[in-house]
Amino acid sequence: MSEHRKLKKDEIAALESRGCTAESWDGVTVADPFQPDRIRNVHFSGKVQVGTFKKTVESVGGMKKPAGLYNSAIHNCQLGNDVLVRNVANISNYDLADEVVVEDVSTMAVEGETSFGNGVEIEPWNEGGGREIKIFDKLSAQIAYLIAAYRHRGTMQKKLDKIVSDYVKALRSTRGRLDKGTRVSACGKIVNVAAGPFATIEGARSLKEGTVRGCAEDPAYIGHGVVAEDFIVLSGSRVDGSATISKTFVGQGVRIGKQFSAENSVFFANGEGYHGEACSIFAGPYTVTHHKSTLLIAGMFSFYNAGSGTNQSNHMYKLGPVHQGILERGTKTASFSYLLWPARVGPFSVVMDKHGGNFDASNLPFSYLTVEGGKSVITPAMNLFTVGTRRDSEKWPARDRRKDPEKLDLINFTLLSPYIMQRVLRGMEDLGVLLEKAKKEQVSVLYKGATIKRLMLQTGRKYYELAVKIFLGDVVINAIESAGSDETLGALVNELAGLDELPMKQWVDVAGMLAPLCLVERAIEGIESGVVSNVEALHTKLKSVHDSYEEKEWNWCKALFSRRYPKLSAEEARERLLAILEDWKSSRTKLNNMIVSDATKEFDQSTRLGFGLDGDETVRDKDFEAVRGTAADNKFIKGLKDEIEGLESVVSRLSDRLKKVRVKA
Amino acid sequence: MADPQVVQRVKEVIARVLETDPDSIADDANFVFDLGASSMQSLSLVAAFEEEFGIEMEEDKALEVQSVADAADFIQGYLKK
Repeated sequence: MSEHRKLKKDEIAALESRGCTAESWDGVTVADPFQPDRIRNVHFSGKVQVGTFKKTVESVGGMKKPAGLYNSAIHNCQLGNDVLVRNVANISNYDLADEVVVEDVSTMAVEGETSFGNGVEIEPWNEGGGREIKIFDKLSAQIAYLIAAYRHRGTMQKKLDKIVSDYVKALRSTRGRLDKGTRVSACGKIVNVAAGPFATIEGARSLKEGTVRGCAEDPAYIGHGVVAEDFIVLSGSRVDGSATISKTFVGQGVRIGKQFSAENSVFFANGEGYHGEACSIFAGPYTVTHHKSTLLIAGMFSFYNAGSGTNQSNHMYKLGPVHQGILERGTKTASFSYLLWPARVGPFSVVMDKHGGNFDASNLPFSYLTVEGGKSVITPAMNLFTVGTRRDSEKWPARDRRKDPEKLDLINFTLLSPYIMQRVLRGMEDLGVLLEKAKKEQVSVLYKGATIKRLMLQTGRKYYELAVKIFLGDVVINAIESAGSDETLGALVNELAGLDELPMKQWVDVAGMLAPLCLVERAIEGIESGVVSNVEALHTKLKSVHDSYEEKEWNWCKALFSRRYPKLSAEEARERLLAILEDWKSSRTKLNNMIVSDATKEFDQSTRLGFGLDGDETVRDKDFEAVRGTAADNKFIKGLKDEIEGLESVVSRLSDRLKKVRVKA
Repeated sequence: MADPQVVQRVKEVIARVLETDPDSIADDANFVFDLGASSMQSLSLVAAFEEEFGIEMEEDKALEVQSVADAADFIQGYLKK
């Protein structure tokens, strides 16, 4: 900012002739060249610093307006160069960076000292409290997870609280700031809100105690009718459509709108909330709820899709709303599904119907959960081969809308990861135990608050084994492809020889980041010991955990290999790897065929019921094909079939390489 | 054409899983369109056929079978092996 000086007498006279007044003209300082013609009908009070006005500002529709100060009351503000302040009834205690626009706003003020929503304590996941998170504008899904889910680590909690409090303390101020390129227009009352750079706040009804943090690459947007209090909105996010948010954190690339309301909730990367309501939720990355009558309450979610009318209860009318639940990554709830918390749904599962009992299906990933005769019924592994699971796993990475160079949330999109596979293995074990005990005349068996059809015990195990074979093949293929030279490949085979039941380390899903628990524990110890002592170090530490995924995935795969094939010679290890490749090919083929079958159902007779309104069957089929196309032409189905075609060449190429390398005798 | 006894046993399995009368199931009935089987019931049917006939079917091929007659033919193929 250039140097500022007091106004000269002729300049004061010029301003007064243009309808300007001041509590004291001594309080107004200006930069040269001063242009009184860019100031009209402005009342100045307190200390106001005015920059230069050279540029014009473009409005919606392409209208160009000269930068300057018009029809406004300005109190204790520092105004950068080329700002436009127009029709603002009260702007107080703000610093406006260059090229900031504030127009048609009733009040924009800072009252007292504030941290602009940073440090506000909210109560996600458990409405009754106990998992409070202090939100701030560098909060990531992983940091929030550690704070909310690891309450038993008291020392870490204290240290994390200090890290966040120190960060927030540095933000406390009696002056607000609108960073470069920020535009605020057509708004009601805005109190204690910081915004920018390149944020747009347009038509908001009331904003209080908040931060809207964008960047040039990925601006943030607050739109029409929004009422927000105690909030943080980060880069690439849009909150609009008369949404009401209170005590809510909106991470990067999130969409909140269409009258959605949220309180005591956190939303991380690429989440979407429309129409419905969120109360005390931990919405991990890709938590999506689009429909009316949908209440998400007291739950932890990620990669989640809520059907219309989805609902949960956290209140048994005893000690208050103290119950909570978990829908692990990739879960969907069908229309009008209901869950009575506490309940836990395993990864990539589908919940249908109204579940009035408490159950734990966390060891049975890819399940369908339905209700028969009032009891929850689990169909294990069924969602492994539905087209939806495959489509979701492809769509998430493609729909990462974050453009901010600093991506706060660490997201691992891998479908079959060690985290999922450990659940698959536990599931196989649980089903095996049940199978052993079940009598042939039994229709169902009881399982952790739910039931499983006896016939599904063996079937579930069979499908889970298919997943294990695909996982092993995926990791082995990746390892072979990564082994550049024959020597490296030979070493890889040797590494798998003579193994003696390596420990299978537990993996965790830290709100989108997949990692061995021991690595997360190490990060926690770093926090507890004080080695990790500020927000930046915390992000760096967590990123190092995230970045080690491939190496740790291989280690876990090696442990699984050692359990299944212990103490092999190098030659036997090579043979086993060749068999894994063949198993991978046949299992992938089977799985893809099953997914194709499921996708093809979308084109069969039953799906044509709503077509050909005024005609016979021929018209119906023609109408259907005109709208939906045919299974043979469907890109997704074609892609799956092409993939099957390509499996053979991958396996034969890698097998040839494996067969040629030298291994130890 | 499958052995009539196999067809009858197939119908009995279907009747058990879908909770219907075996006599009401036509030979050419489609599991989904005619008998209203859900995806989960389709899975149960495969498992029930395997148990009834003591066979293990290829998962992907088994789920492609859509009618009573096709199921009987498919199972007959395994019984001959």
